[in-house]
Amino acid sequence: MIPAAFDYFRPSTLDEALGLLVKHGEDAKVLAGGHSLIPAMKLRLSQPKVVVDIGRIGDLRSIGERDGKIAIGALTTHFEIESSDLLLRSCPLLPEVAGQIGDVQVRNKGTIGGSCVHADPAGDWPAAMLALDAEFEITGPRGSRTVAANDFFVDMLTSAVESGEILKSIRVPVTPKTVAYVKIAQKASGFALTGVAAVVDKAQKSVAVAVTGVAAKAYRAAGAESALRGLELSAATIATAAQKAANGVDPLSDIHASAEFRAHLARVQTKRALELAASRG
Amino acid sequence: MKLSATYVFEALPEKVFAALIDPAILQKCIEGCEKMEKTGEDTYDANIKIGVAGIKGSYVGKIRIEEKKPPESITLQAEGKGGPGWVKGTARIQISPEGEGSELQCESEGQVGGLIAQVGSRLVEAVGKKMQDEFFRKLGKQLEG
Amino acid sequence: MSVTTENAPKVKASQGYFGRAMKRVEDPRLIKGIATYVDDLKIPGVLHAEFVRSPHANAKIISIKTDTAKKLRGVIGIFTGADVNEKVGTIPCASPIPGGKTPEHTVLAGARVYFVGHPVAVVVAETRTIARDALDLTDVDYEPLPAVIDPEKALEKDSPLTHPELGTNVAFTWSLPGGDVDGAFKEADSVLKLRIVHPRLTPMAIEPRGCAASWHAGESSLTLWTSTQIPHLVRTLLPGLIRIPENKLRVVAPEVGGGFGSKLNLYAEEAVVSHLAMRLDRPVKWIEGRRENAAATVHGRDQIADNEIAIQKDGTVLAIRSKIIADVGSYCQLLTPAIPTLTGLMLCGCYKLKAVRVDVTGVHTNKMSTDAYRGAGRPEAAYMIERLMDLVASELGLDPVEVRLKNMPESTEFPLTTATGLLYDSGNYQHALEKAQELAEWPKLIKERDAARKAGRLFGIGVSTYVEICALGPSKIMAAGGWEWGCVRIEISGKVTVITGATPHGQGQETSFAQIAADWLGVPIEDIVVLRGDTATAHFGRDTYGSRATALGGSAIVMSIEKIVEKAKTLAAALLKSTPKEIEFKDGKFFVNGDGKNALGWGQLASEAYIAKNLPPGLEPGLEASSFFEPPNCTFPFGTHIVAVDVDRETGQVNILKYIAVDDCGKQVNPLLVEGQVQGGIAQSVGAALMEHTVYDENGQLLTGEFMDYAIPRAKDIPDFILGSTETPSPSNPLGVKGVGEAGTIGATPAIANAVVDALSPLGIRHLDLPFTPERVWRAIQEKGGGS
Repeated sequence: MIPAAFDYFRPSTLDEALGLLVKHGEDAKVLAGGHSLIPAMKLRLSQPKVVVDIGRIGDLRSIGERDGKIAIGALTTHFEIESSDLLLRSCPLLPEVAGQIGDVQVRNKGTIGGSCVHADPAGDWPAAMLALDAEFEITGPRGSRTVAANDFFVDMLTSAVESGEILKSIRVPVTPKTVAYVKIAQKASGFALTGVAAVVDKAQKSVAVAVTGVAAKAYRAAGAESALRGLELSAATIATAAQKAANGVDPLSDIHASAEFRAHLARVQTKRALELAASRG
Repeated sequence: MKLSATYVFEALPEKVFAALIDPAILQKCIEGCEKMEKTGEDTYDANIKIGVAGIKGSYVGKIRIEEKKPPESITLQAEGKGGPGWVKGTARIQISPEGEGSELQCESEGQVGGLIAQVGSRLVEAVGKKMQDEFFRKLGKQLEG
Repeated sequence: MSVTTENAPKVKASQGYFGRAMKRVEDPRLIKGIATYVDDLKIPGVLHAEFVRSPHANAKIISIKTDTAKKLRGVIGIFTGADVNEKVGTIPCASPIPGGKTPEHTVLAGARVYFVGHPVAVVVAETRTIARDALDLTDVDYEPLPAVIDPEKALEKDSPLTHPELGTNVAFTWSLPGGDVDGAFKEADSVLKLRIVHPRLTPMAIEPRGCAASWHAGESSLTLWTSTQIPHLVRTLLPGLIRIPENKLRVVAPEVGGGFGSKLNLYAEEAVVSHLAMRLDRPVKWIEGRRENAAATVHGRDQIADNEIAIQKDGTVLAIRSKIIADVGSYCQLLTPAIPTLTGLMLCGCYKLKAVRVDVTGVHTNKMSTDAYRGAGRPEAAYMIERLMDLVASELGLDPVEVRLKNMPESTEFPLTTATGLLYDSGNYQHALEKAQELAEWPKLIKERDAARKAGRLFGIGVSTYVEICALGPSKIMAAGGWEWGCVRIEISGKVTVITGATPHGQGQETSFAQIAADWLGVPIEDIVVLRGDTATAHFGRDTYGSRATALGGSAIVMSIEKIVEKAKTLAAALLKSTPKEIEFKDGKFFVNGDGKNALGWGQLASEAYIAKNLPPGLEPGLEASSFFEPPNCTFPFGTHIVAVDVDRETGQVNILKYIAVDDCGKQVNPLLVEGQVQGGIAQSVGAALMEHTVYDENGQLLTGEFMDYAIPRAKDIPDFILGSTETPSPSNPLGVKGVGEAGTIGATPAIANAVVDALSPLGIRHLDLPFTPERVWRAIQEKGGGS
């Protein structure tokens, strides 16, 4: 469990960090909370020559409301999100997700930005980000750009953040209380065997449902969403719509759950997430 | 790990077959293939980087072309070892004419061992699937080009 | 000499330490992180070893290329089987079964590798980092061969062979013909059959293994520090491998972070590191990584049992026939064959069976060896008999508790000889069962289940009434001595040093043995230090496993105190101008005729004993005694566990609603430690019941090689326990204790399993194999059409 040799830099500003990334190019990896990169390095599955530790860049660690949206700095820890009064009031899905990530130690150290950029197919955040239509502000040598959640999670372990870039912040909308995250954890890792995030908009009669842990990347359950568009939510309408939660999806299979079971759980958990969200308003 | 997939090409079976036995094209189509050297009739030494995103391993191995039945079937075999363990794969390919082009049916079987099996089993199948899709996508591009 | 309560020492406990719930004296250093584990040792000039391990389950080694790695700056050497195996002996199995086939277990692989993780070569370097880097530069060429994975297929004629030179995959066979089995089956009203699969488990002690060896060339002596449960057994066994005399080897088990049986072994790495320290004349250290621990430290369980049970209509159980296939893995390690045979011996459970026949077949496969894991054969036995009792109840439409009561012996029937030939020492099984039912609020719980079922929920209640075997054990049944040794020394200052041979690895002997000594000597507990874990200090010992330490090690201490008290009386008599017979000893004071004013305490007596100017003629100086305690029998703790669960029909998740355990481990030295052991044991069993499973794929690749994939329970997976106890003293030792280190693990799994099957029984499910993962439970429900 000893990583291969690497050079370590700990810049104190974002510009300094970007400069280091430009200088070292593909050889460099960005270190945030370290909960994905360090295990991979210790197994030598990841052998970056240069590690740029952005963990001390203070202005990337904040939660604030701006122009009717909530901006969360990429280095904000899961625990800070779990315990944020602002988020509990204005975007309660995020604290609900944060509280179900790993364990206390992981939540104290792991960051929302690091987790999103790592884009683990069983990570909890991607489901919430997709369901909330979050926006990701990415900064790089050519300035900043904003990427929608739908485009951010590119593939298994691949996000839209390119080499040389750093995720700066994530913007999510203010939502009502009618949200929910329902998760069955893989018992060993604590990652999601299935995690379903639901956002219910009773006024517009629309729902957003996103599923993680089931496929190579998290996805919006479009079939379930469209089946409920314009309908009053009831046990019956939800149950019917939830049957479509794994349509068109190629589920993963491993020793913890077969593809068939994952698809089944996606349907059951979609039903439960929608029922729970609807019950909250 | 077993995969079964069908791919459609605009080129005729003869052309697809020819591409599959051309080491230059194979090298271009195998994601992460850094070197491919002929060592005998239809056998090659290869260096391949396999993985996803920042999690990659380098493998040194062999690629063999077997059971050639032009233009309808062929078997590709690959095996390699590296820091993260070993990989081994067999792809049995059937090519049949389909309109102006051809349809390719690929039945493949892969095994991994050592570290990757021990810590990466949940991702192995998805990576395998992705590599195979990527291979045939690139092959399609080569055939168009 | 053997001691029982009938001829127990005359010394009485006086201060009430014995039986008091006390916090452990060990804990502050553990909590503060200032304890010394092997990896914390600072050994000047130490070199670091890392092992090159096989990524194949079965393969020929074609070549091992080390040239590039050897060129790495800081690499001292790389040693392969060809360099080492002729100079180091083979790894022993201490419990071979007559007629068994034993492959030569060289410390490094020879021409072949037999499991993923098999050590092939060892790198020694100036730093651990360099050693690790060198691993990547070492190039081993293998020719992979078909792996033997399924132990049942391994018995088929055309199966590949794990060890071709043996000509078979059968490692051993063992039969226990206990009573007239055929007669009992003829007599039976009916015969039920149940196949039970015990999955393979990985012990996963929190501290992986590790060892360091230092050779003193001038003295030709070696010190080995190793994270082991058994420093004394290592000192007995290792000299033969590394070819030095036993009295030139010192083995130290410093702080040990858990073992659960997995460190009850002599491992190849210990021999290799010792050999290299001698060979290189430099200290060498090796610390096991978690992946190595998962792959190359022994696994547990892994038995398949085909059971038949002969019963009467009224629920009387007459006899059991069991054919057990035990997957022993690649090699028989120290106690491998003893595990499934212990399963056979304990198969009667706490019931009066007429006859039992057990046939065990140990099978070699291309996996890590199985050996002791908390419970070591007893959890398998308890699981089988307790599942069978529930099966009997459900087939006959009887109450599972009634069936159990019907077959239990009365407390007056002890000592009781079982059909398997064991002598159960003492018991009151009904009492523990009643108490557990009381704590469970049984009638209310049954009503709750009925109501839940009516509401469509899958609610189940499970009971297990278990018995186990502890305090292993009389030397006549053990491979290398079943006694235990202890020494008590009153220092010149009057402080007390207790030395035990029952080396702890987390059990808390420093506290419990001090409690015993403080009471028996009548001194404040603060004055006592308990030394352990060093063969230079604890000259003898058979160490800690099989819940033996308190019963045997504690008794050896009491025996020693008795000797010291006798000597102190002689000394006190001389000083008080009296005779030893007239000297009374109470609360740490020696006096005549109730004369407390002129009483002598341990401080004065010790000072006189060592300064030795006023000793009576013939009395040796000093106040120290040591003893070997040889028990007349094992002990047989028992108890009842009751569990209520709720199964999620849609997801297959099992939720433990209520957990009640009443354990009887005889007299309790420290109820807090007892509770800790029971809680830890149940927690491990919750893991075994709901999530743990060591998985090899069809090629012998280990898929549960990390905590990412091998699930052990977290705090939130463990329900709140309602714990109680009953106290049936053991007549087998002067303390009346039985042992409790494994009780929770043994009693809990069957209780949870019975509860889950009970929950699923309305769907027509009569058995399900462990572990009850969501998918396994969901599939069982689907098959019966009981899903949503």
